[in-house]
Amino acid sequence: MAVYKRTYKGYAGARTPEWSRFLIVTRYSYARLFQSKFLILFLTVCFFYPLGAALFIYAAHNLSFLRMFRIPAGDLFAIDPRFFYFYSNFQGAMAYLLTAFAGPSLISPDLTNNALPLYFSRPFTRAEYVAGKMSVLLILLSMITWVPGLILFGIQGDLAGWEWTKANLWLAGAIILGPLAWITVLSLIAMAMSAWVKWRVAAGALILGVFFAGAGFGRAINGVLRIQSGTLIDLTEVKSAIWGSMFRYDTGTGLDVSDAWIALGIASTLCLLLLVKKVRALEIVK
Amino acid sequence: MIRPWCRQILAVIRLEMRKTFFARRGWWVYLLAFAPVAIWAGHAIDVSRSRDPALASAKTVPSFALDSIETGMTPDEVIAKLGQPYSRRAFRTRRIDREVMSYTDGGNTYTFVFDHGELHGIRHAELCNLNQDSVIFAAVFQYFFLRLAIFFGCAGIFMNLFRGEMIDKSLHFYLLAPMRREVLLVGKYLAGLLATVVIFTGSAALQLLIFVAHFDSQVRAEYLNGPGWSQIAAYLGVTALACLGYGSVFLAAGLLFRNPIIPAAAVLLWENVNLFLPAALKKISVIFYLQSLCPVVAPPGRDMSPVLALLVSNAEPAPAALAVAGLIVVTLAVLAMAARKARRLEINYGTD
Amino acid sequence: MTPPPIEASLIRFDNVSRFYGEVLGVNRVTLSIPPGITSLVGPNGSGKTTLMNLMTGLVRPTRGAIRVLGIAPDDPENLFRLVGYATQFDSFPKGLTGFQFVYSFLRLFGKSHAECEALASQSIERVHMSEAADRKVAAYSKGMRQRIRLAQAMAHDPRVLVLDEPLNGLDPLVRAETIALFRELAAEGRHVIVSSHILHEVDMISDQVILLSNGYVVAEGQIHEVRSEIHEQPMQVMIRCNRPAALASKVFEQDHVVEARLDPDSGGLLIKTRDADRFYRMLNQIALDGIEIESVAPADDNVNSVYEYLIGGEGPAK
Repeated sequence: MAVYKRTYKGYAGARTPEWSRFLIVTRYSYARLFQSKFLILFLTVCFFYPLGAALFIYAAHNLSFLRMFRIPAGDLFAIDPRFFYFYSNFQGAMAYLLTAFAGPSLISPDLTNNALPLYFSRPFTRAEYVAGKMSVLLILLSMITWVPGLILFGIQGDLAGWEWTKANLWLAGAIILGPLAWITVLSLIAMAMSAWVKWRVAAGALILGVFFAGAGFGRAINGVLRIQSGTLIDLTEVKSAIWGSMFRYDTGTGLDVSDAWIALGIASTLCLLLLVKKVRALEIVK
Repeated sequence: MIRPWCRQILAVIRLEMRKTFFARRGWWVYLLAFAPVAIWAGHAIDVSRSRDPALASAKTVPSFALDSIETGMTPDEVIAKLGQPYSRRAFRTRRIDREVMSYTDGGNTYTFVFDHGELHGIRHAELCNLNQDSVIFAAVFQYFFLRLAIFFGCAGIFMNLFRGEMIDKSLHFYLLAPMRREVLLVGKYLAGLLATVVIFTGSAALQLLIFVAHFDSQVRAEYLNGPGWSQIAAYLGVTALACLGYGSVFLAAGLLFRNPIIPAAAVLLWENVNLFLPAALKKISVIFYLQSLCPVVAPPGRDMSPVLALLVSNAEPAPAALAVAGLIVVTLAVLAMAARKARRLEINYGTD
Repeated sequence: MTPPPIEASLIRFDNVSRFYGEVLGVNRVTLSIPPGITSLVGPNGSGKTTLMNLMTGLVRPTRGAIRVLGIAPDDPENLFRLVGYATQFDSFPKGLTGFQFVYSFLRLFGKSHAECEALASQSIERVHMSEAADRKVAAYSKGMRQRIRLAQAMAHDPRVLVLDEPLNGLDPLVRAETIALFRELAAEGRHVIVSSHILHEVDMISDQVILLSNGYVVAEGQIHEVRSEIHEQPMQVMIRCNRPAALASKVFEQDHVVEARLDPDSGGLLIKTRDADRFYRMLNQIALDGIEIESVAPADDNVNSVYEYLIGGEGPAK
């Protein structure tokens, strides 16, 4: 009878916390993303508007600055909910472009290279995988949307005084929740498209196409059926309707806010269903 | 030489058909193509349900009188102002006491809904008329179907022919066949063209069928005896030419560029800002010639912002013969360029 | 222009180099491959697949010229009537069954439906895949995919068969059958070019080998010819006899013998000699001195040893 000398011992050292393990996927995704010079350049450009807005806020409160440029104090745009709506709108558009660039490389390469079995043959769930990948976009897009927005609100609050801040505290909520809802939907769409097609390039095209086709299709429905609710398929209009109510600014979409939220919810649910279907350890061939 | 080439081209088409027509992952192309059919079908159903025989002989009421009706009024007050409705229906149960009265001003129908004797809702819908629907059809065709559905559909199908095969690591099977690369290119292009023409002209034909069918028989006969058939032929022809033109561009993009989305995005941007370009630059685009061939002019959207509307520039449409010839010449030139690249194509299955 | 008769039977590489950017694929390769089974042997990244891709036109040489039976690889219309290539890529067009895969690509030759059906069936039968032919390729095991690729490469009865690691994933029985098939094809005068890592199989099946390392051809030809050229490594000969120790003392008297090692079971002696011919002549005399010699066999006249001598010492390919 053979006797085998048992020398193997399992790892008995400290383990990282389970709740944060999904961030490993995030970390490695960032390492790959930031190899792209274009991405770094684009990210840098995304901060121009917030920087400009901060200078604008400073200038609006700085009488000597205004006098230096001979600008009467009342002639600059007011720092009001409209100001923050336009800021969020612009940065939301930049977030969309950044998603179209960064989103496709999240899941498509793993599908192309059959990496999903490698992930799921370890104590790593599909939910953790999706959370890790989604964090890549959520963190990146937050950095260019509501985080600088909140800083701008802070600067304005500091310069305008406590009374202004107290009266406009709801605006801080709008600055956070509005873009957060938008970037969540963007991230879900990007991940769903990236999971659906193995070709990274096609995923990028789909991310762009979803919004263009939705806008066109929505207008076609409105035109043919003589209704307004076709606009619910146009996610950018839906976003405008929701933000309009949050920022208390009339964006002129004509959409009911609750209908807009439902549309966003349906879009998000469809994306999640696609992810559940596609992010699997094995592919069943019929 | 020609006969073996034809046989080889047919063999390529046969292989590609399975991938293009019956692939599950291509369902989004069908969705894009047949979405307008669904919209027109919805419109046709809506029109037929609201079509009331009494409407034909209804007395018209001036619009200002109809617009003056306010919520809270009773049915008698409304009748006193507008006269008898052409349609009056009542629904009474233990809890519901509803009355619906309909009037028309000749161009629109106004439906007043009374709950428990008080006006609660006013619905206003335009009456279906051929001229207006023709313009709407033209707008949907030119701004959605051509620029988005056919554009993205062709991008998806044609770019997959070479670049997609590279990604799937199956292109080498074609390159290891005793076939000239140019013959392979022609075979793949024709396969893509067959698929897109069938899908998109099929959709256009269905849209036109529903569009014509939802009018009453008199209007339909007037349309078909008049400009109808030539317009239908023009729309189908434009659809096929769009597949021809965009198909060659995307096939070439898939061959010439490792990342064909960049040139595709550039083409998309160019085609969509075509509206705002000066007349000379407008002519350097596929969409200009396609729109020149469309039988009905579709103005830009009514809800376009005034700033953008100012930027819209109009150019004389190209004569039909020139437009068709131009599109064919562009297609052949692009395919010739693609053939040169195909001849020197190497297998490089690196990860993207 | 019809190539001269000798050209029409050779695969020629004339000073061929292929670079992938700054990375070397193959460099200054000059080869003439005759009919028979030729094995390309080398570590990963040595250039075996590059060489195969070059001869089939899937990549173009940066420098030099290639002729396959007198036809240039950039003439696919003529080349692929004579050449079949089963690549290492384990991917297939989607949605096809095994039969459809072989049949559909045969149609690209311009053959009729009936002809293609017959050829496809024959080829599939030859690789023993008839039972699974109507199943989707995507549902095949690795070995089945390998065999159906082989069937597709052979279906049009090519004169040159280029096979990149064709025995990968095959079970022993199927391996033996496939090797027998290669021998059959080579016996018909065809070129069968095979790349493999399994050196004892290369030894078994090959008429000639081409050893590659870091993109260079290190050696080519029949194994024992290659071995005899490697003068730096003394020849090893295994002698089985009744008195190995006595034999050892006698052989040590020869100046060309550098080492003699008793075999653990004490029935044989492993000798290293710098001059094999002198050694064999000497052995005849020793046999007459009362030592019964049962067998004499070269111990390192095989691919494994040649590989180790020429490539093994260079470390892993960059």
